[in-house]
Amino acid sequence: MSTNDRSKTDQILDLLLDVLSERQERRGRAAEANDRRAAPVLPLPSSEAPVQRRAEENRTSRTPPQPPPVTRAQDAPVVDWPTPDEPPTGLSTHPAEWPAILAADGDNDWPEPVKAPGRAAADSVESLPAIQFERMLRRLAILLVLLLIVVNIPFNRSGLSLARAMPDARSLIIRDGLVLKGSGEKIYVLENNQKRWITSLEAFEWHGYRWEQVNVVDDTFLDRFADGRPLYVLLKCGLSAHIYALEDGQKRWIKDIETFKTEGFVWEDVKFIGCNTLRQMPTGLPIPVNAGPSPEP
Amino acid sequence: MQDLGVVETILRNRVLFFEQIRQGTGLAEKMRAMLISSVIFFALYGGVLGSTHSLWQALSSAAKLPVLFLATLFICAPTLYFFNVLFGSNQSLTQNVALILTAITVTAVLLLSFAPISLFFLLTTSHYQFFKLLNVGIFAVAGIMGVLFLSQGMRIVAADAADGDAARRRVLRLWMFLYAFVGSQLAWTIRPFIGAPSIEFELFRQLGGNFYANIFASLGEILGFFTVQ
Repeated sequence: MSTNDRSKTDQILDLLLDVLSERQERRGRAAEANDRRAAPVLPLPSSEAPVQRRAEENRTSRTPPQPPPVTRAQDAPVVDWPTPDEPPTGLSTHPAEWPAILAADGDNDWPEPVKAPGRAAADSVESLPAIQFERMLRRLAILLVLLLIVVNIPFNRSGLSLARAMPDARSLIIRDGLVLKGSGEKIYVLENNQKRWITSLEAFEWHGYRWEQVNVVDDTFLDRFADGRPLYVLLKCGLSAHIYALEDGQKRWIKDIETFKTEGFVWEDVKFIGCNTLRQMPTGLPIPVNAGPSPEP
Repeated sequence: MQDLGVVETILRNRVLFFEQIRQGTGLAEKMRAMLISSVIFFALYGGVLGSTHSLWQALSSAAKLPVLFLATLFICAPTLYFFNVLFGSNQSLTQNVALILTAITVTAVLLLSFAPISLFFLLTTSHYQFFKLLNVGIFAVAGIMGVLFLSQGMRIVAADAADGDAARRRVLRLWMFLYAFVGSQLAWTIRPFIGAPSIEFELFRQLGGNFYANIFASLGEILGFFTVQ
């Protein structure tokens, strides 16, 4: 074979090769387009899902944006989506800029949404691998409701529930009106950062305190507060000038203003009640005890 | 219960969701679904919060927590809308509200995800100040995630606005502070949500002090510096 013939053969072979490779490329593109149209929407097997998803993300990130959403895959209208070579028509060009927009601001910390292949699957949640999210959410909500009911059901006679069953659950908020008791008998009420001794059961009840309000605390805690004025029940009726201190269920006449002040009483503590009610109360010793017979109100 | 499906769309395919808001597709349905979902989630979390104190407090907090977030939305939404319009946005008020509702729904679902943790600490610890701070932390995390979500959504939805993008972004950041400020003040106003131990149940507590001073005082007590009064 001459050199001339060889070069001609080479040229023909080169041409053939070019034609072949062109045809192969065309077929490949067509097959890929077919695959993209016909790909079924199937949940990925759990073991393979992350790998396939990542591969899918890499692939979809280079493809143009998918068309607008379809709520359900099976209801998707049959339309021809643009091939990768064609620019999308009738769609906003903005979605293509989304990654850039999100990245530009620097706070794109959210995981990129996973896009599944298939035109019917276009961007709808149904196209993503099923994770039973809605069902899980519903179950979590129902479980929480049940737990809330359970922890709030009283389980003993005093109405204590699980949510408030911890031994020291009543940690104290220091405030006016907090009722405290140390190791002794005395019960105090806090007022203006001072502890006021509640002098009698009558005073305790008269001021509307209840036993469940009494917080037993360490004496050292009580000592943090200075002593304030003791809390008495001082009673007076409108028709009488006399004032009585209520102690041990008896009314004790306070002789005069001087005694009133000496005993540490204050006008703010005097309560007005009906004269009949006051008269019906048993009379005790006057204050001071040598003050003489107690006048009736 | 089918409205809960919107949460999955928001969390898993937010770009689509925001694009639909941008196009104004099914805004009313979306808003209704988000409203229902977030009210359910907030109510559940409110119930957990109030259970530390009493059943009445649990019911009260379950009602008050959704009110807190929705009232904050309606107080703050007009500001965001008008400032966005001022700086070139072409969104409607409904789109703005839908976006903020998206953020609120994200906050609500994140709070729901924290509910078992809150419930766990409710049952295993009794320190009121600790529980209060724990929940402030939880609300902060959920709220920050919510507004980050809003920020992303706002960029996508307003992507076709002619100009003023940078200005709108600045407005949004400032608005987030405003939103947090209004929310915390409203929370303080309609407190209690947890209910202080040794205090009887009360639907609303008398005004006085402020949210930030109280948090500071709680921190101080937890660290042993002083006692909350």
